[in-house]
Amino acid sequence: MKKYLPKILFLTSLMTLVIVPSQSQEKPKITPYLELQYFKDTDEQAYLKSTLTYSMNRMVLPLAGMVINFSDGSGGQSLASMVTDDKGVAKLLLGGEVKLPVNKEGFWSFGSEFKGNDTVDGANSEIAVKDLKLEMTLSLADSIKNITLKAHSPLNGEEVPVSDEVITVYVSRMFSLLPVGEATLDETGTSTIEFPSDIPGDENGNITIIAKLEENPTYGNIEKSVTEKWGIPTSYSVPTTHRALWTKTPPMWMIITLSILLAGVWGHYFFAIISLILIKIDSKRKKSKDEYLT
Amino acid sequence: MQADRKLLNDLTPELVQTSTKWYVTFFIFLAFFAVGIYALILQIDKGHIVTGMRDNVVWGFYIVNFIFFMGLSYSGALISGVLHLFHTGWRKPVIRMAELITVISLIIGPFFIFFCIGRLDRLYFLFIHPRIQSPITWDVIAISTDLVGCFIYLYLSFIEDFAILRDFSELNVAPWKKKLYKILSLGFSGTEKQRKLLLNARTIMAAMIIAIAIIVYSVLAWIFGVTLQPGWHSTIFGPYFVIAAVFSGTGLLIILMWIFRKVYHLEEYITKRHFVNVGVLLTIIAAFYGYFTFSDYLTKWYGSIKMDSILIDKLFNQYYSLFIFANYIGILLPGIIIAFPKFRTIRNITVAAIIALLALWVNRYIIVIPTLETPFLPIQDFRTDWIKYTPTWVEWALTLAGVSVFAMLFMLVSKIVPIISISEMQERDQNEVMK
Repeated sequence: MKKYLPKILFLTSLMTLVIVPSQSQEKPKITPYLELQYFKDTDEQAYLKSTLTYSMNRMVLPLAGMVINFSDGSGGQSLASMVTDDKGVAKLLLGGEVKLPVNKEGFWSFGSEFKGNDTVDGANSEIAVKDLKLEMTLSLADSIKNITLKAHSPLNGEEVPVSDEVITVYVSRMFSLLPVGEATLDETGTSTIEFPSDIPGDENGNITIIAKLEENPTYGNIEKSVTEKWGIPTSYSVPTTHRALWTKTPPMWMIITLSILLAGVWGHYFFAIISLILIKIDSKRKKSKDEYLT
Repeated sequence: MQADRKLLNDLTPELVQTSTKWYVTFFIFLAFFAVGIYALILQIDKGHIVTGMRDNVVWGFYIVNFIFFMGLSYSGALISGVLHLFHTGWRKPVIRMAELITVISLIIGPFFIFFCIGRLDRLYFLFIHPRIQSPITWDVIAISTDLVGCFIYLYLSFIEDFAILRDFSELNVAPWKKKLYKILSLGFSGTEKQRKLLLNARTIMAAMIIAIAIIVYSVLAWIFGVTLQPGWHSTIFGPYFVIAAVFSGTGLLIILMWIFRKVYHLEEYITKRHFVNVGVLLTIIAAFYGYFTFSDYLTKWYGSIKMDSILIDKLFNQYYSLFIFANYIGILLPGIIIAFPKFRTIRNITVAAIIALLALWVNRYIIVIPTLETPFLPIQDFRTDWIKYTPTWVEWALTLAGVSVFAMLFMLVSKIVPIISISEMQERDQNEVMK
């Protein structure tokens, strides 16, 4: 052991020289990406959505639990601080009437900022949006279903029609939205499109129609929806008597096959167990006979 | 019931005395088992994140071990059942080992399913909310049925020996063992009526065990075969799994023959003839196994379905060494060793059996994991640890614990009943005298 001691010490110090510097090297900070969007839903409720993510190995991953500060972009007045959820999203409800100052062109300015921490760099994002009021009217003329969309934006107390914007009309389905048409607003801020007549609805024919202005650089994301009996009544329930691989009731041949197999197998088991019982009975009989004879 | 004195003297010493080596070996296995318990507690506490299983590769070592142990079980049943029905004389020294492999493997195998289930508190749902259409339900019913059947079959084979041991006055075992023999022997005294009842029951159960083993392992194969996953969606998975199971079980039987022959000095009873006969069985089954393997992969490769082609490409690249070991070395080497009389020594045959057993475990691994890494629907997320499965120490520890429990149970049973059936050997001797 003594003669190896210098070698052991040398190797240990060599390892320390390698390990310690690598431990003491600081890991680079994560550079996040902060996106800010404006939304207005069908109930005229506006909200800001800020998404904080980062990129790693060509994947976009969320940053959860981070504090995002929302502000009125123009004056820098702080609105609120929200924490990102597990998808990296922080939402701030602005309410029905957003009472914030607008500039001469009628734009609101919003900002979101992440100040950063020991492992993540800071980031910020700003947007400027105008208010938009979207109306959707459904009408039926000569069995043709029409959807009329009207959009206008308030400016200096007046309602100015919004033109040349594309609004997509969707129908709500089970897992996503089905686009059924696109409407381009004319100079009066109005557009009419025909609604297809072959869309299945629920059992009563109800269908939810959604008009969306999506990721618009001026107006943000605007949505208007209405439920109407414009779908084909469709029953989705499966009668309990229906036997199939995917229903509650299995196919009859499956039940019969399984029953025959199990009855056959367990029948043989009972035969074996009965044989054991008979062996026991016979042994008791023999024992009492032997005792009687002695 | 009386038995030949020589048989009793040769086959019962292990019931009476236990060597230090036995205790040391047992406690080594117990230590592995304890590590496995710790790993299990950690897994239950932290969740399956401590394993290598993730969103895509949802089945790993545990399912591989489950299939492996189930395969050993069914092969034990098939070997003992077939040998019993065909009244093959040479089988008598090894039949008890085959029956014990059946039952012990069947006890251990389902535990790996419990390790794989994320919510053990919902396990009883399998019984109170079964869906007859589900292959999982078929498997639950099949394994439960098989377990009962194998226990009955094993017990039937023990009765005569229990009666012999009960009546062997010079057997110096603990009083609790004597009482056990007395109770479990059911008062069997070898009368003509009792023998007839026992023989009929054993014959019927031997036939049932063969049928159940084939059906049950086919059901296990159908859990894979009825899916659309590349590599699994195969019409020959049922018979392929059955043959692979018999292959692995035959290999294990040879290994156990070697161990018990050496440890319990049973050279007079387990001879080279037994090794050669079971080895020839291994070679024949290897041929069938090789045929099924070739047929399965040939049809997949030739069909050129996109995901099948990607999977086969993966097997021949990322899993090249494992694939070659499982499907070439594991088949050819045992066959070569046993096919040539020159190589047929007890040691060589045992080595061939070890290779076959390991190859079958690897075969299960390359059936389960590469397919999950190459799913039918494209993977949405490319995180490396989600796509590539790497077993963790927890899974290795529990695998080792399963093997240790198998060994420990075998060791414990060998202390209660003779590892070679005294009644079978007596019957064989009587038949030889009559001839």
